[in-house]
Amino acid sequence: MSGTDLNAKQILIVDTKAGNLFSLKAAIERLGFAVTILDRPNQGQFDGVVIPGQGRFGTVMKNLSQNGWPEYLKQVYQQSIPMLGICVGMQIFFESSQEDPEARGLGWFKGKVEKLDFPKKPMVGWATLTSQIWPEAIVYFVNSYALQSSDISIASTTYGETFCAAVSSGSFVGMQFHPEKSGRVGIELISQVLDGNLGDQTNE
Amino acid sequence: MSSSYNTNDSLLPRIIVCLDVDKGRVVKGTNFKQLRDMGDPVELAVAYEQQGADELVFLDISASNENRPTALKLVTDIAKHISIPFTVGGGLKKLDDVKAFLDAGADKVALNTTAVLTPEIINQTAVAYGSQCVVVAIDVNAEQEQHRFYINGGRKLVESNFFDWTKEVAERGAGEILLTAMHKDGTGSGFDTKLTAQISQQVPVQVIASGGAKNEQHFVDAFNHGADACLAAGMFHSGEYSVQQVKQYMLKNGIATRL
Repeated sequence: MSGTDLNAKQILIVDTKAGNLFSLKAAIERLGFAVTILDRPNQGQFDGVVIPGQGRFGTVMKNLSQNGWPEYLKQVYQQSIPMLGICVGMQIFFESSQEDPEARGLGWFKGKVEKLDFPKKPMVGWATLTSQIWPEAIVYFVNSYALQSSDISIASTTYGETFCAAVSSGSFVGMQFHPEKSGRVGIELISQVLDGNLGDQTNE
Repeated sequence: MSSSYNTNDSLLPRIIVCLDVDKGRVVKGTNFKQLRDMGDPVELAVAYEQQGADELVFLDISASNENRPTALKLVTDIAKHISIPFTVGGGLKKLDDVKAFLDAGADKVALNTTAVLTPEIINQTAVAYGSQCVVVAIDVNAEQEQHRFYINGGRKLVESNFFDWTKEVAERGAGEILLTAMHKDGTGSGFDTKLTAQISQQVPVQVIASGGAKNEQHFVDAFNHGADACLAAGMFHSGEYSVQQVKQYMLKNGIATRL
């Protein structure tokens, strides 16, 4: 492993206390970024923020709220700092989820996460995206719940039914799939988001 | 619909490479006495990712309790070096074992003997980590018109109905079934496509076919019959085939795959 590069972009991974972050951290470091993992916000300045994709909707929301993340994330968004939400880390930016109906999401974007009618549950495996910005990209999905559609959708895929695979608004990009488990394609997508090369795609 | 391989779906059939680990090294052996050193698990994992493997399974990495810290460190090391999902299995006896390996960075655990002896561990793991983390491995053998299944590495017969067990594990929260056909293992005569198809249709989770693969046509046959994924070891470890070659062949035969 290389030593600390002082010029490297600083990326923050929000520790939602819902799973190990080895793969995600390693994937981001492989891109040459420096990674900090925090379970509550500090005063540090970061060039990008990642909300990981493990755990249940309700648990992740509870841990985020208890540790002061919602306000922090809002500031990050307002400053147009690149943000990447993965799987449940994307879902919590919407209103609610059938996974934990009593929990409320951050509600930044319109939409409810639903239990989808997949032929085999959970959906596990590689699927091809239908997307203008990532045409034919093949990425790894692990989920039972997803948004059927969204007005900020930038990619979809089909397994029994078609659902929203990625969203983008301002400096925020959400991926229903797991880019850290999607081989070189996934690493490339993480790089695009954290380098800020993927601005707002919704007004195309 | 006789086949679960639906070309309208974007979900692709998977090729999974299995690596047997003993004392921190990948080994190969046709029986328990002749283990041949195949190399470093991390290096081989990286090589198989580059070849286009969709997932990896590490078996017996966790078997020995004395080496538990070393095994956990190896799992974390693998997680840091590859960016495709991987499963660990072999010797996981308690929920604490399962937790330790998932927390160390494994994406899934494969439960076989333990699932039969203490089936609640399937439910417990599914509740704690989600069904996607639970692969139940079943070693089945075709014997005189009936299918029977075994634990303890194929040595001990289980006195229950095999088909009922496949349904039970799905009900208990398994996310996938790894179906190893003992009567095919080592024969090189291809996967048991018929049995794989039958289980795949009867249970609401994905079925991974295992045992018997020797060439690229065997994968095409299994996927055409409804396998959701195929697992193989020897034909890749020997260098006879690369994962990439098999996938090119699948494409030529009209089966979509990730290159």
